[in-house]
Amino acid sequence: MKLSATKFALGAVLIFLLNANFLNAQDVSATLFGTVTDSSAKALPNAKVSVKNISTGETSETMTDSDGHYRFAKLASGEYEISAVVEGSGTASAKVTLAAGSEQEQRLTLGQEQTTPSAPPAASENPPNAPSSSQSQNPAQPQNQVAPSLADLGFSKAEEQGNARQQALLDKRTHMLKIHQRMGLITTIPMIASVVTSLNAGGHSEGTASRDLHVALGALTGDLYGITAYYAIRAPKIEGTETRGPIKFHKIMAWIHGPGMIATPILGAIAFSQKNNGEKVHGIAQLHGPVAIVTAGAFGAALLSVSLKF
Amino acid sequence: MTKTLLSLFLLFASSNLYGADQTWVLKQSTLAYHVSHPLHETDGASHAARGKGVCHEGQCDFLIAVPVKSFDSGDSNRDLHMIQVTRGAEFPMVQVRTRLPESAGGSATIKADLEIQFAGQTVHYQQVPFEVKTEGNEKHITGTIPTTLADFKIEPPSLLTMPVKNEIPVHVDMTWSPQ
Repeated sequence: MKLSATKFALGAVLIFLLNANFLNAQDVSATLFGTVTDSSAKALPNAKVSVKNISTGETSETMTDSDGHYRFAKLASGEYEISAVVEGSGTASAKVTLAAGSEQEQRLTLGQEQTTPSAPPAASENPPNAPSSSQSQNPAQPQNQVAPSLADLGFSKAEEQGNARQQALLDKRTHMLKIHQRMGLITTIPMIASVVTSLNAGGHSEGTASRDLHVALGALTGDLYGITAYYAIRAPKIEGTETRGPIKFHKIMAWIHGPGMIATPILGAIAFSQKNNGEKVHGIAQLHGPVAIVTAGAFGAALLSVSLKF
Repeated sequence: MTKTLLSLFLLFASSNLYGADQTWVLKQSTLAYHVSHPLHETDGASHAARGKGVCHEGQCDFLIAVPVKSFDSGDSNRDLHMIQVTRGAEFPMVQVRTRLPESAGGSATIKADLEIQFAGQTVHYQQVPFEVKTEGNEKHITGTIPTTLADFKIEPPSLLTMPVKNEIPVHVDMTWSPQ
């Protein structure tokens, strides 16, 4: 009964933590995405796309990728004017209303003007030695005709071309790894507590309260660990990236604490059963403690490898 | 006849006043950003910058560009996060433009007004000091650009719930040679 109550309480804590806002790295901002095409429905790469919040006047700009796609993330909810322009091909514009947390698609076809495109904001006046900024993707036009341009430098198209889809993938990856990081930190709390309570849980101890608490903490650790692992495993992988540096050690440690987190509760269950039968912990169940310590050690090393610089 | 001679004279004088156009090419470079965190100090460096300078009528226009993904901090996970937070997939190139008088090449120190395009933003930095050393016919230029995350509207990354510092100075080490 005591064990059930303890497990229930710990389970309630787990549910609370899962729903706590601080776990959710994603805010309620909206996303606007779409494709820019010409009148024959051909996708247009390198189109300059601008979006302006009608209420605040805030403007963002981007360029379409090789498939004519664009994407604006983290926009506040509200009414927007969106416009696209390609030199020599015309302009396109539209008005959209974004709801909080929504993802909305807006296709733009050049040559079909519905509203007057908004003008880009002027650069603000700043005192000397202070930076001044404006939102612009296109380079400032040189005063004379001989100023070098990006095309003069010999970069490949792939290096110069933006990719909105790749950015969206990176955004998703970061979002999931942020949750992984936070869940990993949270998992250390019951993990440390279960190690501490293990001192009174096994061996010559005859009382069941400490053992029940140790089991409950171990179960909570396992649940949180599973969630932590999920977000790391399911985070998008970026093609062509070689794993280098401290993150390599962090991933190697997972091959120790991962199997350890499976073996520890299994061995613990055997030991628990033996103790409940009035027996001394024996056989393979004796490995529960050492395996748990190695698992916790590998977990701690994994955490430290990406936290501190060695 | 007098007018023709006068026009020819003026044409000859102006073309010789500044000399022929000179072009400079970035031969070698190291650009390194520095990030400060309570638990970490990190540097990410790139040797992949390309640049060109064109001098015309006493003024030189320079353009230096470097791919965002070429910066290497020694940790692939950190580099990917850097690309994400700087929107490096959408805006893959950092571009720096400046205009200097042709005579600046003879000074030991120059102060340049820079226009930097990065993370979808264009930011101007005034009077950034650089040291210039002449090595044969090449110019070795070093300096630090006082960039910040806020200038480029970049959300500060965090580790263990602690954000990095706003100041991200970029150290520049370039060797330019005439083309």
